[in-house]
Amino acid sequence: MLNRDLHIRYFKRCLEMLPAAMQSLDATRMTLVQLCLVGLAVFDAIDEALTGDDKHRMIEWIYAQQVPANANNSNTQYRGFRGGSLFGPHGQIKYAPANCGNLAATYSALCALVLLGDSLERVDKPAIIGAMRQLQQESGCFSPHPHTTERDPRFIYCACAVAEILGDWSGIDIDAAVAYIQRCVCYDGGVTQGEFQEAHGGHLYCCVASLALMRRLDAIPVDRVLKWALFRQSDGYNGRINKAPDACYAFWVGASVEMMGGHDLIDADGTFAFLMKCQSKFGGVAKTPGEYPDPLHSALGLVGYSFCRPDQLQPMSPSLLLPLSLTRARSIGSAL
Amino acid sequence: MVQVIESEGVTILPLSQQDEWKDVVPLAQEETATMICPIAYAEDYKEKMDYLRALMAKGEVSQRALKLTSDVIEENPGHYTAWVYRKRLVHELETSMEDELLWVAELSEMQPKNYQLWHHREAVVEMLLDPQSVQGMSQDERVAIPVLRRELGFLAESLDEESKNFHAWAYRQWLVHTYGLWDQELAFVSVKIDEDVRNNSAWNQRYFSLIAGGSSLSAEVVEHELAYTLEKIKLAPNNESPWSFIVGLLLRHAPAELYQSLLPQITALAADEEYLSAINGTPFYWATLVDIYEQQAKDVPEKQKEAIELASSACDVLATECDLPRQKYWRFRQTQL
Repeated sequence: MLNRDLHIRYFKRCLEMLPAAMQSLDATRMTLVQLCLVGLAVFDAIDEALTGDDKHRMIEWIYAQQVPANANNSNTQYRGFRGGSLFGPHGQIKYAPANCGNLAATYSALCALVLLGDSLERVDKPAIIGAMRQLQQESGCFSPHPHTTERDPRFIYCACAVAEILGDWSGIDIDAAVAYIQRCVCYDGGVTQGEFQEAHGGHLYCCVASLALMRRLDAIPVDRVLKWALFRQSDGYNGRINKAPDACYAFWVGASVEMMGGHDLIDADGTFAFLMKCQSKFGGVAKTPGEYPDPLHSALGLVGYSFCRPDQLQPMSPSLLLPLSLTRARSIGSAL
Repeated sequence: MVQVIESEGVTILPLSQQDEWKDVVPLAQEETATMICPIAYAEDYKEKMDYLRALMAKGEVSQRALKLTSDVIEENPGHYTAWVYRKRLVHELETSMEDELLWVAELSEMQPKNYQLWHHREAVVEMLLDPQSVQGMSQDERVAIPVLRRELGFLAESLDEESKNFHAWAYRQWLVHTYGLWDQELAFVSVKIDEDVRNNSAWNQRYFSLIAGGSSLSAEVVEHELAYTLEKIKLAPNNESPWSFIVGLLLRHAPAELYQSLLPQITALAADEEYLSAINGTPFYWATLVDIYEQQAKDVPEKQKEAIELASSACDVLATECDLPRQKYWRFRQTQL
């Protein structure tokens, strides 16, 4: 059985302290916070696990990662939320590129604030949209921050989710983003990070969810993509052809299937069976059976299962990784 | 308190006790709250971060800064501003790009799942060898350029170590594409498929090497790929990769070949005593038949009725015998015919 109390305790424990082994994720701490909150939300347990004071202090920490304008307002391209506090106190970092927002962190911060019930009043919307506009490449794809050649659909998705949550799409050239995603559709019906690369369940999600949020799902051959996605399932889902199942793809692939209208076609018993194999007896979900749990596989494994059994877990929005109760209250998320 | 570390017989003092760092005031991380996934940093990592922040705050350009970014990135490869800073240091200090590549190679062994290091590698290689400079050279001349020879060697090693490394394959595509190394690619891919016929990354690279160079797919190439794929299917019929490769290739570039060539070849295989039970038992065979008949129904009006019936009975086999977990999908697909 799904052990609700153990999982809630697991996410709470991660919010309180992570081991030194997670140092390598220090710059993506904002996403870890988001995932722990998602893990609580899927059990409708945020209010149960966190006091009002906890929530208040978490909200303050998240806002403390929002990069303010510098003295001569020359850092417009570095605005948005940073991945964590490791970058140092804003006022003391004079070399502007060193104190820099990141589209993925901005996305995670906004989701976390929504989950904590914040009004988003202190979000500097024009600064975020302005920085985002500068991150879209000629190809239509997005970079996470300036001065990098890193660019792939993960950041198209983050841009779309930020635009949707903030209700401002002026930072995205939608046609260019759609055209990029169309080039990511592979010969086998899968979707990947760039033209000619191997189909991958994570990028499938980023592309399908971006299209869903842009209301342009008809831009890809949904029939073929849906088939590729459904073929990822044995009991659990894998992320690529001939790879082993991994708990997080119950979300990446499962949510994509949901958005493409395949809700009734998935094997819910298989999804549950694999989740049970990956569930740790101390709470949390591991990537594969027998490994240690981590916040990403725990939250995403559980959300993946929530699509199968919305009666047992909170119904979640596949396009925004937020409970449907919150997306509906804010009128955000694709129509599904 | 940071401890003195003994490593391979060498004593490493904390930065705070080293003369070289005397002039730097470490800059601590500010935390405003609990309950936000704080990480229990190791003391030496924390100290290095304090010193790195102090250098980055003013944007110091120095060898010690370069060394410190190595140390920090090795433990925290997602530190995106440290990468930006490092790129600037490498550029302004006119560091040896060869050394830089050696370091990135070591890092990719420590952190194979990291995206940033592969992008850094691209940037360094591009600084070493301007893609424009290889224009007009033959393939043999290109692969003889030391930088490219080494990159191909490095990739061959990386893919020996982890044959499905998504980043290594993406980087290989970048290298082949940027420096026009098309002629050698199909041979490399064929070796990788021979090593593991289920390596879907290699099958994908096969498609890339046939199509991405921009040459059109000749009838000879189509015929060759059909024969090649069929041989690989015989080795392991229940292997999704070759089935999706050949269906995808034909669907995009020669759709009529699906029912004119692939269909008779696979049905013959399914009737061949040696392969009969394995072919008929794999969902990929029947799923391929559904795709083929669907295409035929679309293209050939006089065959439409028959093709739809055949597609429908293939869906029956899938839904009732060889793909039970996707039963609902095949019933749905049947209604779409």
